[in-house]
Amino acid sequence: MDRFIAGIPRRSALTGLGAVAAALVLAACSAPGGSASAAATSGPVSTDVGSGKITLSILVDTPGVAGTEKLGALFTQKYPNVTIKVSGDEFTNLISNASRTLSSGTVPDITRTSLGVLVKDNLLQPLDGYAKLYGWDRWPASQFASSRSNAKGSERGTGSLYAVGNGYGLTGVYYNKKILKKIGASVPATLADFEKSMAKAKSAGYAGIVTNGKDGGVAYPLQNLAIDYGGVAAISDWTNGKAGASVKTPAMIKAAQTIQDWSDAGYLVSGVNSLDTTSAPAEFAKGKSLFYTSGNWQAPSLQKSMGSDVGFMLFPAQSASQPQYAMSASESLVIPAKAEHKDAAAAFLNFIQTDSRARQITVDDFGLAPGGAAGAETPDAVGVVKDTLTAFAAAVKKDAVVDFLGNSTTSMSLTLIPQTQLLVTGKTTPAAFAAKLQSEYANQTGQ
Amino acid sequence: MAITDAVPSRAGQSGPDERSGIRRYPSRRGRANWAALLWVLPALIAYGTFELYPLVQTIRFSFYDWDGVGPATWAGLDNYAGVFTNSEQFASIEHAFILIIFFSVLPVALGLVAASIIREARAGVLGTLGRVVLFIPQVLPLAAAGIIWTWIYAKDGLINGFLTAIGLGKLATDWLANFSTALPAVGLIGCWVSLGFCTVLLLSGISKIDPTLYEAVRLDGAGRYQEFRAVTLPGLRREIVVAASVTVIAALSSFDVIYVATNGGPGYQTIVPGLEIYHLTFTSQQVGAGSALAVLLTLLILVVILPLQRLARES
Repeated sequence: MDRFIAGIPRRSALTGLGAVAAALVLAACSAPGGSASAAATSGPVSTDVGSGKITLSILVDTPGVAGTEKLGALFTQKYPNVTIKVSGDEFTNLISNASRTLSSGTVPDITRTSLGVLVKDNLLQPLDGYAKLYGWDRWPASQFASSRSNAKGSERGTGSLYAVGNGYGLTGVYYNKKILKKIGASVPATLADFEKSMAKAKSAGYAGIVTNGKDGGVAYPLQNLAIDYGGVAAISDWTNGKAGASVKTPAMIKAAQTIQDWSDAGYLVSGVNSLDTTSAPAEFAKGKSLFYTSGNWQAPSLQKSMGSDVGFMLFPAQSASQPQYAMSASESLVIPAKAEHKDAAAAFLNFIQTDSRARQITVDDFGLAPGGAAGAETPDAVGVVKDTLTAFAAAVKKDAVVDFLGNSTTSMSLTLIPQTQLLVTGKTTPAAFAAKLQSEYANQTGQ
Repeated sequence: MAITDAVPSRAGQSGPDERSGIRRYPSRRGRANWAALLWVLPALIAYGTFELYPLVQTIRFSFYDWDGVGPATWAGLDNYAGVFTNSEQFASIEHAFILIIFFSVLPVALGLVAASIIREARAGVLGTLGRVVLFIPQVLPLAAAGIIWTWIYAKDGLINGFLTAIGLGKLATDWLANFSTALPAVGLIGCWVSLGFCTVLLLSGISKIDPTLYEAVRLDGAGRYQEFRAVTLPGLRREIVVAASVTVIAALSSFDVIYVATNGGPGYQTIVPGLEIYHLTFTSQQVGAGSALAVLLTLLILVVILPLQRLARES
């Protein structure tokens, strides 16, 4: 802090400025960054992990390290020549530094990241060859949609496969069974029922919905409402980053209006904008709210804190016969284009999706739903964790999963978070809200 | 300034005149300069590597459209124009200026009061205690300070608990999530951090003021306030300018406390240039746009700081 001491003599300041200016002129002559590196091709792929001793290095987000180490130990049991070394970094750092990590001299063999610019800069290994080899291409396709990208990295849901995961995140609604009973309501089957039970909860002194508004949790029910009102096509085009897609639609405006109405009616927990991913589930576990809109990743800890008092359902549709949609994305594990042991890395990725003990770890340690083949066995689970697995199976079966609004561009969350905060406090209108999302989308996708 | 102060006292000493020594051994002067350069070299390398090189690179990046890895394309002044057309980026600069009140004006004012009080209790246990208590925030990493204060400001935190306890529960709010209190709330964290630094700096300044001056005004029958105005304040002018410079820079380039406490929210209420630069560069992967804002922020800080420095030089 105290770098700055007394006044700088004028002449040396001028000399310094001159030197900087000269350096600037020199530097400005050349463009920063590398020249475009060639696209990594699928190349020869093999299921053979060899017999020589190798170390597979895996870089994941810090909370995932322990679980990944367990998966690694299982893999080493099967392939004793492969040692797995897992390291971790804080999630935001991991994502922010991915370009630099993957273009540096030493890259991990597997890491967790998002696609986008990494695909454009050819830093990721396309996995289509392995998908064919291991038969992933015959599994239900919707689980891989968010991990496909066009070569420019601008549009997902199409093009080559770049990531697979041991499990999938899934959004939905947790409900407090005790409060439901107290207000004499049952698990809502339609959107109208859902709103009615919130009204009852409100008059009984509870909040209707708690969510982590500080980091954009309001976007989950908002996205579900927009799908309920206007169908999934427009939303999924938008979350995939498709050129020309728009959310400046009557459905999105109506959804934003509903969120604002809920806020005005006092259905949203007070101070929703101050709750984050730690404090929101804590408020719910304390019994302050009937519903908690979040995802399956919260299930193991809610199971622990609430036991049999908590249940999980998909966000309701307008009528019981319509499909209930969920936002879902895989824990994107990628093989960097510069990775040393690609075949062994692919074997590991196949192992964690198919081995029954690995799938059990995915549920128990990661709180995620394992994907895999249509008839793959579901791991053992009880209570609300089981609810999330059942919900995931139901959603995947109907192809009713869609990516998150916040994933539409690399930085959409920077717009979505403040805008939803303005929306629930009545500081923006539903129309202005939708228009702002769309103008940022247009900016960032270069339309 | 320090040199001109020192020269008269040294001229009074007997011994060989330095200037004549230089004339007698012209070769030694060159050798001494090379030796001097050697001494400066480690610092110069560090300064060049970690300050000048990044500075030049940032200026260079600001003229390109670049994602941080792939090929870059020349953007001219587009990135700079972007700052003035983007309302959120413009708002961030406005917030930085509001933060000057909390990071700079308040701590310097309160620091003056605290330093005057501690001066009187200097020898006693209370003086030492006061110095330690006020300086502790300066030792804490800013991120840690941010986390502690988010707990204090929380819905069930210390402040709301206190307000409820004294029957003012109606005033309790989500300090960091409330649109009207968020910016002052993060500002007060900065004030808390800066106060210790300002107090210690001003205290060391006070210790240099001739005690006879205090005695003289007291004999003239001046009260505490007149004593402060006539002796303490003029005597501390240079320390005040340094404290103001350091804290104004901290306000304009603030990042850590706000990143931890609010991340710019609620809405865009606490967005500051430092945060925008981070978001643009690392989240949006628009290295050029982030760099342009960084260059403008640096210039802005210079524009604000240079007149302040002038104040210190005039006597």
